[in-house]
Amino acid sequence: MAQHAKTLPHDLGAPEFVDRWRARALVIGAIFGALGIILGFLAGDGWNHFLRAWLHGTMISFGFCCGGMALLMTQYLSGGKWGLLVRRPLEAMTRTLPLVFLYFLPVGIFGMSFKQLYLWSRYNTDPWGAWKQHLISATQAHSIYFKHPLLNPVTFWCVSIFCFASWWLYTHLLNKWSLQRDADTAPNVPYWQVKFENLSGFGVVFYTLTLTAVSIYWVMSLDVTWYSTVYGLQFLVGQAYGVLALVILTLIGLSKAEPIKTIMRITEQHDLGKLCFAFVMLNIYLAFAAFLIIWSGNSPEEIPWYLDRVRGNWGVVATLDVVFHWLIPFTLLLSRDLKRIKGRLAVCCCVMIFARCWDMFWLIEPNFKDAARNLHFSIGILEYLTVPVAMIAFWMAYYFTNLKTRPLVATNDPHLEEILEPEHAHA
Amino acid sequence: MSAIREGTYGLLAEFDSPGDLVRAAQAAYDSGYRRMDCYTPYPVEEAAEAIGFHRDEVSLVCLIGGLLGVAAMFGLETWISVWAYPLNIAGRPYYSWPAFIVPAYEWTILWSGLSAFFGLFALCGLPEPYHPLFNAPNFRGGATSDKFFLCLEATDPKFEVAQSRAFLESFQPVSVVEVEY
Repeated sequence: MAQHAKTLPHDLGAPEFVDRWRARALVIGAIFGALGIILGFLAGDGWNHFLRAWLHGTMISFGFCCGGMALLMTQYLSGGKWGLLVRRPLEAMTRTLPLVFLYFLPVGIFGMSFKQLYLWSRYNTDPWGAWKQHLISATQAHSIYFKHPLLNPVTFWCVSIFCFASWWLYTHLLNKWSLQRDADTAPNVPYWQVKFENLSGFGVVFYTLTLTAVSIYWVMSLDVTWYSTVYGLQFLVGQAYGVLALVILTLIGLSKAEPIKTIMRITEQHDLGKLCFAFVMLNIYLAFAAFLIIWSGNSPEEIPWYLDRVRGNWGVVATLDVVFHWLIPFTLLLSRDLKRIKGRLAVCCCVMIFARCWDMFWLIEPNFKDAARNLHFSIGILEYLTVPVAMIAFWMAYYFTNLKTRPLVATNDPHLEEILEPEHAHA
Repeated sequence: MSAIREGTYGLLAEFDSPGDLVRAAQAAYDSGYRRMDCYTPYPVEEAAEAIGFHRDEVSLVCLIGGLLGVAAMFGLETWISVWAYPLNIAGRPYYSWPAFIVPAYEWTILWSGLSAFFGLFALCGLPEPYHPLFNAPNFRGGATSDKFFLCLEATDPKFEVAQSRAFLESFQPVSVVEVEY
């Protein structure tokens, strides 16, 4: 009973083994990168699958980076001790934005400007002419024509650059102020809290809008006929889902050594597990609601998007998507013990991150004519096993580098005192 | 309960602070007492841990309730749509599982919620209109406001009125009362 509050260790820097993580990530990135390039030569599809897989890796890395920013702003708004715990890892994720921008450039340049990925960019000037030559269907021609104000190279670049600029501004301020706050005195905490809340309140709404915009441009417009108002929100929830899993994995890894060993209590770990559970439910809720509405409507304008992703062996991928995304994490996270045992929670988080990648594959690949309603083996499709792995590994290496540059615990926060208290000490 | 019970229910020690209660409870558990209970005005998890409180079965009851709920509703919908009253709705198959999910989900929530609620009552042995501890006036007055109680029950093999009283008094409680059935 007479336990006393723990004291924070003197050195708050990331432990030595983070360097080993980074080295391992770089090795994985190099090996899979080389494999991806070899496959690109072997595939014989003009590097098209390489580019699709590149888009896949970009979206996952972008999800970790900017999803981390969204969760960082959310925890400033919601408060809570779990927020203190995840703050510095999330900041490290947001500082990877330059790499995500580099990842995006080939998508924009080769995918859009060189017309390799986006059908609308290929027939942007004369869709009806392409239709007359039987290159595209009448529906596609009509969509390209009708959506021209939205889907054209100029707006594509303007919107993408504007979104990156705005995210840079937000990540820059969030990171800068966080250090300034720690350097400040404790009585000034309310000032910083209000400052962060004001930034984050608008920021979360603004991020939702910009994310909707880029998810439409980068992924949804691969199928020019498709439209869905819940698309951006699905990405938002998916990003939070992946980021939470990644941040829990990071904390569990770091908890083997100081300083996280001292501040990571079972109570907050349990809380993070519960939050994960909530996002597992929210994610399947949005995905299933969208499906149910379109299935009920059964309208020829909407249903082909699902038919492309269910027929011709894609049903297996779709079913496994539900299994990985919902069934496994849901049944695991239902257990109270699992959320409190580090090793098991880590396994669940790995499944969740894998599910994100699986889902992204299911979203991207059937947009292309050769793959829609026809999941078949080709050397090209193996790119999804190599290119995204390499890109995520390089992203991780950068993330670990960022993790090392700052103390792992934000100190100027009243929650710190509470988190150092013994658990359930409300007697 | 078939026969009318008589005699001593247990010895009730009253403490002013949760710390004193937990210390006494821990010592009682360490010296071999098992049939005992702590009574506090608000949840004190340390007290539960001290007397070796094991896991409860509410979550299991809740899970079973939920599984029964989803099975019942999904089965009901399938039976109605496929066998009992098949209707052609927009040319869809009779067994249109996407349409069955939402009510099945609702029943999962409903049944697991109800089974957790009533399961909790059942596992706690409620409703219980009579409890011997309410014979102690200090318990009636303090257990829900500002007093912390430890009761060593007479059914414990180690229980012996004089010895157990001496044991409890060694923790300087406010009082030790013998409670009758």
